[in-house]
Amino acid sequence: MNTAAAKFAAPADIEAFSQAVRGKIRADSKVVRVCIGTGCAAKGSRKIYELFRQAAEQSMDDVKIEAKCVGCHGFCERGPIVVVEPGEILYQRVEEPDVAEIFRETVLGGRVIERLLYEDSATGTRASKAEEIPFYAVQKRIVLENNGRIDPARITDYIAQGGYSALAKVLSSMTPEDVIAEVEASGLRGRGGGGFPTARKWRSCREAKGKPKYVVCNGDEGDPGAFMDRSIMEGNPHSVIEGMLIGAYAIGSEQGYIYVRNEYPLAVEHLGTAISQAREMGLLGKNILGGTLSFDIEINRGGGAFVCGESTALMASLEGRAGVPRAKYIHTVESGLRNKPTNLNNVETWANIPAIINRGGRWFADIGTKNSKGTKVFSLVGNVRNTGLVEVPMGITLRRIIDEIGGGVRDGKRFKAVQTGGPSGGCIPAEHLDTRVDFDELTKLGSMMGSGGMIVMDEDTCMVRVAKYFTEFLQKESCGKCTPCREGLAQMLHILGRITDGEGQVGDIVRLEELADLLEGTALCALGKTAANPVLSTIRYFRDEYDAHIRDRHCPAKECRGLFRYEIDEEACKACGICLKACPVDAITGEKKVPHVIDQDKCTLCGTCWEKCPFTAVMKV
Amino acid sequence: MPTVTIDGQKVRIKKGLTVLDAAKKAGIWIPTLCYHPAVASEASCRLCMVELDRGDWRQLITACNYPVRQDIVVYVSSERAEKARRGVMELLLARAPESRELAALACRMGVEKTHYPSVTESQRNCILCGLCVSVCEQVIGRAAIGFAGRGAERTVAAPFRQASEDCIGCGACAAVCPVGTIKIRLHKDEREIEISPFKSRAKMVLCERCGMPMYSGQVSREAMSKVKIGRKAFTEYLRLCPKCRRTETAERFASVPVRRE
Ligand SMILES: Cc1cc2nc3c(=O)[nH]c(=O)nc-3n(C[C@H](O)[C@H](O)[C@H](O)COP(=O)(O)O)c2cc1C
Ligand code: SF4
Repeated sequence: MNTAAAKFAAPADIEAFSQAVRGKIRADSKVVRVCIGTGCAAKGSRKIYELFRQAAEQSMDDVKIEAKCVGCHGFCERGPIVVVEPGEILYQRVEEPDVAEIFRETVLGGRVIERLLYEDSATGTRASKAEEIPFYAVQKRIVLENNGRIDPARITDYIAQGGYSALAKVLSSMTPEDVIAEVEASGLRGRGGGGFPTARKWRSCREAKGKPKYVVCNGDEGDPGAFMDRSIMEGNPHSVIEGMLIGAYAIGSEQGYIYVRNEYPLAVEHLGTAISQAREMGLLGKNILGGTLSFDIEINRGGGAFVCGESTALMASLEGRAGVPRAKYIHTVESGLRNKPTNLNNVETWANIPAIINRGGRWFADIGTKNSKGTKVFSLVGNVRNTGLVEVPMGITLRRIIDEIGGGVRDGKRFKAVQTGGPSGGCIPAEHLDTRVDFDELTKLGSMMGSGGMIVMDEDTCMVRVAKYFTEFLQKESCGKCTPCREGLAQMLHILGRITDGEGQVGDIVRLEELADLLEGTALCALGKTAANPVLSTIRYFRDEYDAHIRDRHCPAKECRGLFRYEIDEEACKACGICLKACPVDAITGEKKVPHVIDQDKCTLCGTCWEKCPFTAVMKV
Repeated sequence: MPTVTIDGQKVRIKKGLTVLDAAKKAGIWIPTLCYHPAVASEASCRLCMVELDRGDWRQLITACNYPVRQDIVVYVSSERAEKARRGVMELLLARAPESRELAALACRMGVEKTHYPSVTESQRNCILCGLCVSVCEQVIGRAAIGFAGRGAERTVAAPFRQASEDCIGCGACAAVCPVGTIKIRLHKDEREIEISPFKSRAKMVLCERCGMPMYSGQVSREAMSKVKIGRKAFTEYLRLCPKCRRTETAERFASVPVRRE
């Protein structure tokens, strides 16, 4: 089969094409894969790719050498990441001057450059392959399997790896009801936050009266610091498109929309390219693969408000109206976009579909716990050694994610809490680190799965401030439509503000709990209903910190200004005089060879001495 | 017709009507602020919270837009429903402490005062119920005003917070405002009507006889465009202010010679 400009006319064409593409790959060919995901690109990986491409072109070697752009590997902190085939040698933190050496030594010479390998900071051992690095070894990659392997801008790459074979299978041998049954057997639950069973949603939409029906992909990803969906859209856009095609077939829809936030230009670009390639090859449009399915997808760029990720707000925004939620007493599967039956799923949910169809619902259901199946992608950030994008089987403990994948807490500090579930999630303390990652388990702890944010916090983190930070975020992002969310969050923030300012009042915790109860019961949408989680979970596990702020006017983590003092450690002080000169209010006294002292009455707690002391003799107490 | 059981009392209403409709039929009062029969319910004020019996649990719902599709049981005066409504009212009172209308409604609900401080600023007691926005768009068909800003910063304003060119000065927004935020101001010297605080102004039609400004010219044009029969009589009718019309009618009668037998 011609691999240049094929247009598929029947399901069997896909497999034939895939084989033809794979047949062209020579056994001795070499590939340099350069990550151009947003993380690596920010560190100049595009230029590195260019240099490899030029080197490959100019190479006199008679073997075929190819430089390739690929999507995010997840280990963004160590970027730019370059992988050389054969051998799957993974180089990290590659810089422009390294390109020539990698090309000469590894690509042509087959020798490994030790210096660029990942080194385990604890053991000092170096790993040459991804699977030897603990960060990757513990992961299980289904959704991210092809991220970092395929060029997201080339549909042939995706098809060569088995892409669109699930679509071919569905169109050639399954009824829509079969498809829904397969998804049902997988136990897949929505990855966008709510964890709603995907098959049940599809079936309701299929059975809903009204035409046309729409399928929508939620790529709003408004959680600060989260980049799971971005990486999928950037690194493997066809997996989302294939998932939507299969969903459209099952539901009976001819039009799809992908709602992507405007701050994701690369995701928009790659999705756009993928959609036009799919159209050219007859995978989108009329009578796909010669059958009855007609389906096309439009990309919609969202303004970037957090609340626009909420289903009804997203649909309002798609209609060109203000992105404000409405009541869901009538579900969107019955009356959603333009009052028509609409099925909305998250990016990661869609991206799971092709694998479920190909390998079967049973296979998927074998991974995970009783009520949470498959894997989940998390963006692991905060005070851990290895930050990045990780995909783990459901049921793995939080401890394994943080210690084995994340490499434990950074700088030898003690672990304090892990925040999961995005801004309206909760903080989980050390005593629950052996909890399994599972929709229901996390909810029981007062947190949630959410869309997969995971922020690790060390002992220096003030939990009242954490609660305040998230409350402030939610208050700013609240659309302001309904009274409890708009006014209630402002009230909560007011109380949290006075607690962290050292002006907390007896009874403030009860006031916060009352407001939380009101929000949960009366807010219009899930933003408001869950907005008190950060406050409630920190009160639940770190009440003593609240008490210390309110009663003792003391911040145990020494983060809240005014709620701790600076003192100079007599033993450590070398009497160098630096702090004395730096203090803007002359609160420090001392002479040569005599340890310096801070006059607490004069001190304004600006922290200059703490920053300036070269011997870390200034302490927060 | 489904049956709605409200606080033990049964009423039957048409499918698709709301819990609030059912309560009205049963003669049970549920406080509302952002509800108005002329516009679609947005359920934004959250004052009409009641409890819906879901068998093993009870859910707080807004009565004004919860559609009755089958037999349901709801509680208006349960402890949780009352607490929810009071909580919402207290938050509103903290936002608009000077609104007499709001205080009166609170009083009727048995809420004497709020124990929350005022932490958000309202524009002349506006509680953001959104009725003005809905009426302008859905009833008048102009959409001259809308919401601007997010969260506590949300306000009602004309686009770009400028005087709107779409405003015809009809005053429907002022008429539905439950807390008296929107006011109609007459600027007699300029013969203009102003819808405050939106800054929009409309030229007024003057009484042909005494010169008194009567109503917005655009409103009358808009209204006249809808009149299909008897246009002439209407035009005639709208020429004068009520007082002058009376005088003129009296004069006309007076000028008719009285016939004597
Ligand atoms: C305030 C708010 C923000 C949300 N943001 C997102 C988002 O960014 N991405 C997403 O997929 N779902 C988001 N959701 C969840 C969606 O409303 C919806 O449940 C989800 O997209 C459904 O897809 P799923 O069933 O595949 O999870 C958000 C919900 C709320 C209340
Ligand atoms: S809960 Fe918050 S975000 Fe949701 S509708 Fe109400 S004000 Fe808007």
